[in-house]
Amino acid sequence: MSARTRNRLLMAVVWLFLLLLFLPVLVVIPVSVTDKSYLSLPADGISFEHYGSLTDPAKGWVPSFRNSALAAIATAIMATGIAAAFAVGAWIRSGWWPSAVRLLMLSPLIVPPIIYAVGMVRVLSKVSMLDTFWGVLVVHVVLSLPMAFLAIAASLANLDNRMVTAARSLGARPITIFGRVILPNIAPGLAAGAFLAFITSWDEITVTLFITARHFVTLPRRIYTSITDSIDPALAAIAAVLLIATMAVLIAQTLLKGRGARAGSAK
Amino acid sequence: MSFLVVDSLTMTYGPLRALNDVSLTVKEGEFISLLGPSGSGKTTLLMSLAGFNKPTSGRILLDGQDIIAREPEDRDFGFVFQGYALFPHLSVSGNIAFPLKVRKWDAVRIRARVEEMLALVGLKSLADRKPRQLSGGQQQRVALARALSFGPRVLLLDEPLSALDRMLREQMQTELRRLHRETGVTFLYVTHDQQEALTMSDRIAVFEKGKIVEEGSPTRLFKSPTTRFVAEFLGENNFVKGSRANGVWQGFGTSFSLPEQRDSGEDAGSATLWLRPGDIGFGTGRDGDISFTAKVEDFVFGGTHNRLALRLRSGETFVASISADLVAEDALGKDLTFHARPEAVGVLR
Repeated sequence: MSARTRNRLLMAVVWLFLLLLFLPVLVVIPVSVTDKSYLSLPADGISFEHYGSLTDPAKGWVPSFRNSALAAIATAIMATGIAAAFAVGAWIRSGWWPSAVRLLMLSPLIVPPIIYAVGMVRVLSKVSMLDTFWGVLVVHVVLSLPMAFLAIAASLANLDNRMVTAARSLGARPITIFGRVILPNIAPGLAAGAFLAFITSWDEITVTLFITARHFVTLPRRIYTSITDSIDPALAAIAAVLLIATMAVLIAQTLLKGRGARAGSAK
Repeated sequence: MSFLVVDSLTMTYGPLRALNDVSLTVKEGEFISLLGPSGSGKTTLLMSLAGFNKPTSGRILLDGQDIIAREPEDRDFGFVFQGYALFPHLSVSGNIAFPLKVRKWDAVRIRARVEEMLALVGLKSLADRKPRQLSGGQQQRVALARALSFGPRVLLLDEPLSALDRMLREQMQTELRRLHRETGVTFLYVTHDQQEALTMSDRIAVFEKGKIVEEGSPTRLFKSPTTRFVAEFLGENNFVKGSRANGVWQGFGTSFSLPEQRDSGEDAGSATLWLRPGDIGFGTGRDGDISFTAKVEDFVFGGTHNRLALRLRSGETFVASISADLVAEDALGKDLTFHARPEAVGVLR
């Protein structure tokens, strides 16, 4: 076998795997424009009625979308704030306790969500927060902390923490040090942390299933209910909307980054 | 009234005494080196002066006022760190302007001062660079300019040259002397490098195990140390046993008398004599010189001066640095005569 054939074979295998990864995701797009009233590929033509039905108040897609957005934004803000406070503190003062707390903070990555869910149901029912925004927020913040913390800690890892000592010797007080010295250096980490926390909350389903019922329904929960209760193609429509939105964000980010990198190297 | 006084400062970490009753008086405009091996307490003292350490007991007086309770940001002391600790997101100018912005100077004044500092450390052409685009020596200059820009009363330097290579280090030593002269700021310089301390300082305080064992001018400490630690730590030295009876010294396998300023003035059954390798000459020397015989046990070529490892008849060994014109490798294994001027010999009890 010549090197050329071998190379082609390798390319074919690579593409096969990429398609295997991506095609099942793309299948929601044709399904979402089906002309039937159940989940299926379009047979006699295409129809956008299922997109229209997303806004139907009776179906509850809009409130669940709003609930999820609300929870994800609030989670991103809170998780980033808490994780940043801890990461910066641990960075400035080293010692045994930051390592101990770090382990505790990362524990949601280790503990299976289903176990955590069982515990949280008991806790939230004790304080009457089951099926409320605040209950979901608490759970999502806890689950997002490891992500946010890891992103922020990574941006601090390359910084010399004597910068803080230097700033103090130059007359800066804690708030100035945070605002003028630490913040500009960890801003990318904060953005990444917030993004990861948002995503974690946005598609959290395991624990959410246990702690919500009818009052505070998130989008993943609504999708889950839709799958188990009916075979409404609106499901494919919402999936297509999310997919296209995500792709749009990713493409925009890649383009912006490319431009930023070019601008940076030109300087 | 003294400018800066460290008054019996003690600092304990559990059972460890990092500083043990340390006192030091600093005159305004002095260049003082705190010299000692690592773990001897010199950096702990510097950190206490900067306010990053809270000593267990003792006082630090600036113009007669105890500043021990003052936070570091209120002390107005400049600090230069070992790794420079520059702000990576700010340019050279931004770094230098930082303490001025914190002090809310107006923009015109800040610009003028930054220009002045850039000129002082010779970085005008690099004003807009970021720290990571600078060499080690350049970063060092930025750190100095930043710590001096707001007109500190005292500049504290924590082994600032240890990360630089030898050539650059010597350049920066000259540079530091110049900055000290031109700014008139009091410098307190921590180092474990005795050469650095000897070349730069007006005064050296030698630290050992949390105490200042001796302080004085570089010349005084080098020429007439009163403790074995300093005699050994500053410059190279040889130690041999000696004794004094009826005003005459025994040592180096011979007898001799020492000039008045060197002599201990009392007879002693056993004392330690020291003699630096560079003060030993080849041959019998002139009248009045101490001359002695020793066997050459090792020979190391060193360019202008060769180093010989010598053994006295008493079995004591020491090192001599002899001009390369006088001794060659064939001296190895021979018994030869060497000499030293009596003023070069020191006595420790």
